[in-house]
Amino acid sequence: MTTRRLTELRGGRIYDPTHGVDGESRSLFIDDSGHIAAAPRTPAEITQTLDVDGCVVMAGGVDIHTHIGGGKVNLARMMLPEEHLASLVGRDRHPWPGSGVATPSTLTAGYRYAEMGYTACFEPAMLPANAREAHMELADTPIVDKGAYALLGNDDFLLRRLAAGAPDSEIADYIAWTLHASQAMAIKVVNPGGINAFKFNQRKLDLDEENTAYGITPRQILLSLARNLNHLGVTHPLHIHGCNLGVPGNVNTTLATIAGLEGLPAHLTHVQFHSYGVEGDRKFSSGALAIAEAVNRSPNISVDVGQIMFGQTVTESGDSMRQHAGSAFASPRKSVLMDIECDAGCGVVPFHYRDRNFVNALQWIIGLELFLSVGDPWRIFLTTDHPNGAPFTSYPHLIRLLMDRSFRRDMLATLMPEAVAASNLASLDREYSLYEIAILTRAGPARSLGLANLGHLGVGARADIAVYREHADRERMFSSARYVFKSGQVVVQDGRVVAAPNGATHVTRAEYDAGITRSLDDYFARYMSVRRRNLMVSDAEIEDLGRSPLCIHSTRRQG
Amino acid sequence: MAYAAAEVTGAPSVGGKAVDFDVALTAAAKLLRRSQRPLFHGLGSDVQGLRALFRLAEHCNAVVDHMHSQALNSSLRVLQSRGWHTTTLGEVQNRADLVVMLGVDLDRGFPRFLERHVAGKHALQQARRAHRRLVHLGPKANTPTCPADLPMDVLPTPIDRLAESIRTLQGLLQGIPLPSVSDALQALAARIAAAEYPVFVWAPGQLPTATADLVIGAACELVAQINRTRRAAGLALGGDDGAQSALAVSAWLTGFGTGVGFSRGALMPRGELGGSTTALAEGGIDLVLHLGSFSQARPPASDKPSIVLAPPGLAPSEAPDVYLPIGIPGIDHPGQLIRTDGVVALPLRALRAPHHPSATEVLQRLQSALERKP
Ligand SMILES: [Zn+2]
Repeated sequence: MTTRRLTELRGGRIYDPTHGVDGESRSLFIDDSGHIAAAPRTPAEITQTLDVDGCVVMAGGVDIHTHIGGGKVNLARMMLPEEHLASLVGRDRHPWPGSGVATPSTLTAGYRYAEMGYTACFEPAMLPANAREAHMELADTPIVDKGAYALLGNDDFLLRRLAAGAPDSEIADYIAWTLHASQAMAIKVVNPGGINAFKFNQRKLDLDEENTAYGITPRQILLSLARNLNHLGVTHPLHIHGCNLGVPGNVNTTLATIAGLEGLPAHLTHVQFHSYGVEGDRKFSSGALAIAEAVNRSPNISVDVGQIMFGQTVTESGDSMRQHAGSAFASPRKSVLMDIECDAGCGVVPFHYRDRNFVNALQWIIGLELFLSVGDPWRIFLTTDHPNGAPFTSYPHLIRLLMDRSFRRDMLATLMPEAVAASNLASLDREYSLYEIAILTRAGPARSLGLANLGHLGVGARADIAVYREHADRERMFSSARYVFKSGQVVVQDGRVVAAPNGATHVTRAEYDAGITRSLDDYFARYMSVRRRNLMVSDAEIEDLGRSPLCIHSTRRQG
Repeated sequence: MAYAAAEVTGAPSVGGKAVDFDVALTAAAKLLRRSQRPLFHGLGSDVQGLRALFRLAEHCNAVVDHMHSQALNSSLRVLQSRGWHTTTLGEVQNRADLVVMLGVDLDRGFPRFLERHVAGKHALQQARRAHRRLVHLGPKANTPTCPADLPMDVLPTPIDRLAESIRTLQGLLQGIPLPSVSDALQALAARIAAAEYPVFVWAPGQLPTATADLVIGAACELVAQINRTRRAAGLALGGDDGAQSALAVSAWLTGFGTGVGFSRGALMPRGELGGSTTALAEGGIDLVLHLGSFSQARPPASDKPSIVLAPPGLAPSEAPDVYLPIGIPGIDHPGQLIRTDGVVALPLRALRAPHHPSATEVLQRLQSALERKP
C-alpha cells in the first residue's frame, strides 16, 4: 500500500455549500495529486501542516461571466491607453508586469483573480470567427482555469437554416459542431437576431419582431437554441443576453422572455441591464421586483446580476445594435463598433457611472434589489459583467454591500435622493451569510456549468482553495486571500501571487452527425472568407505545447 | 532537433563570418547581456514567436517596436481619439453593395483582395452582390485591375487631396451646399446615399505618414455619420509582416498596442507613438535586435550593434554583428497569424521539414542563456 503524502490545513472554518458544510471548524487535507483527500489513517501521512486558525476556507471562486479575452477586449485595451497609463503594475507586485483595471492585460487579470481567491473564469462572448484569438488570450491568463461560451443566434448560417425550417436534429448538430470548432464550454446568445438585423439597419428588435432579412424572431431563435442545447445534454443552459439591453421598459421584454422559454432551462445574464421600467417623471424605474418574482417562481431560470459600480469603466458587448445606441453616451467620447464575419458584431464604449446621475444611481439600486429579492442563492450568481458594470476587482466591495446592511444603507444615503426615493432598497433587510456568498461565487456557478470537481471541497475535488482571514469588513476580507491553492499548489500567500501555473481550459463536447460538416463545408466554401477547417481550433492549439491542460466535459443526448 | 541540410546559403554568422549556430547564439546572448537598453525591432513573427519576444524583451529591458509601427500608430491614434465602425472580409463578401477604395494601391499591396472578397460569385445577400460596384478614389496610377463582372468608377484624386474629398462627401451627404464640387464626386455621394451597405477601405501602410491620420480620421467620421441613420462600415487593409498579430499580442500581454518598453520589471509605455526612429533618436538605445520572418525588412539605420533573426532568403544583405537564421512560419513550422480585420486568426501548417529553428525556439534559447549566470 502506498503511503499518501498529505498537506493539512488546520483550524479553518469551512464553507462548502455543495455538501451543506456551514462554517464547520475542521481540518482539510490535500493529497499530492492536487485533490482534496479524506482524513489520514495515521498521522504519518501528514507531511505538511498549514495553520489557518480562525480563517474562512472556501473552494476557489468561479466567475461565470467575465469579459477577459478575445477581440473586443483587446480592442478596448488598444483604445484606452489612458486607463493603462494610470494603472501600470510591475514585478514588485506581480510575477510579470502589466496594466489596466477595466481592461487588464491578460497576465494581470489572472493574478488579480487569484489574489481574490478566484481560480476559474469564463469568458462569455466568444465569436466562433474569433475563437482562436480568444483562446490565445485565455492561454496567457495564468493561474485560473478558463473556458468560453460561443456566440450563436446572429450567425447567418443559423438564421438561414431556421428560415428554411431546418429540423431540430440539424440545429443540434450545428450547435455541437460549434462547441467543438470553437472549443467552447457553453452557448451564449446576444440580442437574438438583433445583431444581424442591425447589419440591415434595424435599430431595435423586440421578442416577436422579425429580422427583415430572414423573417425570424428572437423568440424563435431563443427557443430553438434552448431546446436543442437541452436535447444535447449540455449542462450549462442557453446563456441569454436578451433583447433591448438598457432600454427603459425592457422589464416587460425580460418577463416575456422568461415566460416564453416554456420551462426550458436558461440562464439570463446581467439581468440588471434588463430590469428597467418606465414609471415616474423620468420614465425610468426599477423592474427588479417583478423580475425577481418571475425568477423565484421559475425553477428553470438562473440569473447573474451585472451589478454596476460608480466610476470609470468600459462596456464591451457583442450587441452592436445596442452599443451603437449607447455610443452617444460614451465617456470619453469614442467607441469601436464592428460587424463581424456573418457571425455577430461587437461594440466597445467607455462609460463613467455617476452617483449623481439618476439613471446610474438607479442601476446600482436595481442590481442590489435583484440580489436581495431573488430567494434561491443557487440560481443567482455574483457578477458585474466585468467590465460592463464595473471591473471584477470590485467584487469584494459588492460582497460587503450584500453582507452588511448598515454599510449598504450608508452607501445608499450618498446617492442622488430622487433615485433613492424611487426604490425600496432601504427597506430590504436581507444580509447574505458567508455560506450564501460561497454559493453565489463558487458552488452555484460550478454546478451551473457542470464542473463536477470544482466549486466544492468534497473528497476528490480539485484542491482549488481560498483561505481568507476573518474580518468584520468583508470587503477587506475578500480583497486579498491569505492562501490560495491551485491544484494543491500555493499560488497566493498573504494576498501576493507566489506562483503562476497555467490553469486548464474547460470545453464541452457533444456528438454531431458528419452531415453537418458537409453542409458547413459547402457554406464556408461559398460564402465565408476562410475554410471551415481553418476556423476550427484544434485540441493541440488549446494545449498550447503542453502549457495548458484541456478538460473535456462530454455530454449525452437526451431522449 | 535536426534541421534539413538542404539550404546552405543561410549560415549563422558573427561579424560576417559563418559560425556554428551555438556560437552565434552565444554571441547574441553576450551582446544582449551587455546591453542596457536594446531596441527589439521588426516583430515580424507569428503569435508564438511574438510571445517569446515579449518575454525576452521584459528580461532585457528592451524597447519594442514593429517595423510598420508608423502605419499601426496612425490607426491607433484614430482609434484612441474617436474610435471607428469597421467590418470584416466575410461581411464585405456577403453584405456590401458598394466598395470604395480610399487611396489604396490594390495591385501593389493586396492583389487578391478583389478576386477573393469583392468579385466572388456568391453572396448570402445575392442582390447586394448583383448591384455591387467598386469605386477607386485615389491616384490614377493606382487604379486596380478590376475583374470583368465588377463595375468600377475611377475618381482620380491625389493622395494629399484625399481627406478633403472624403470631407466633401460627408458634406454632400449632409446636404450642405458646397461650391465647385466635381460631378463625379456628386455622383459618388449619390451612390453612397443609395447604398445599403457601403464599405470604405483604406490601407494605413500605403498612406504617407503626414496624411494617414487625416484620411483615416475622415473616413471613420464619414462612416459614423452614415451610421446615424443608415448603414456603412470601414475596413483597414494591412497586416503585412504579422503587424496585426504584433499589435494584438502586445495589447493583451501589456495593455498597449504599440510603443511599449520594459525597464527593471515595469512597463515603460512611450506616451507618444513615435516609432523606432524616435526611440533611436531619443538616445539610450545601445543594441538593435531585428526579427523579421516574412519579408526582407531591415533594422532601422543606426550605428548600434545589431542582431538579426530572419530566414536566410530574407536576411538583409549587409551582415549584422550576429545573424541567426530562423524558419518561416507556415513553411518550416506551424503557427498562428491574426488577419488584417483583427478578428480571424489563421492556423499555419508546416509545409516541409524545418530548415531552421523557429523564432520561438531561438528566442527561448536566448532567454535561457541570459537566465543562466554569466
Ligand atoms: Zn457580458
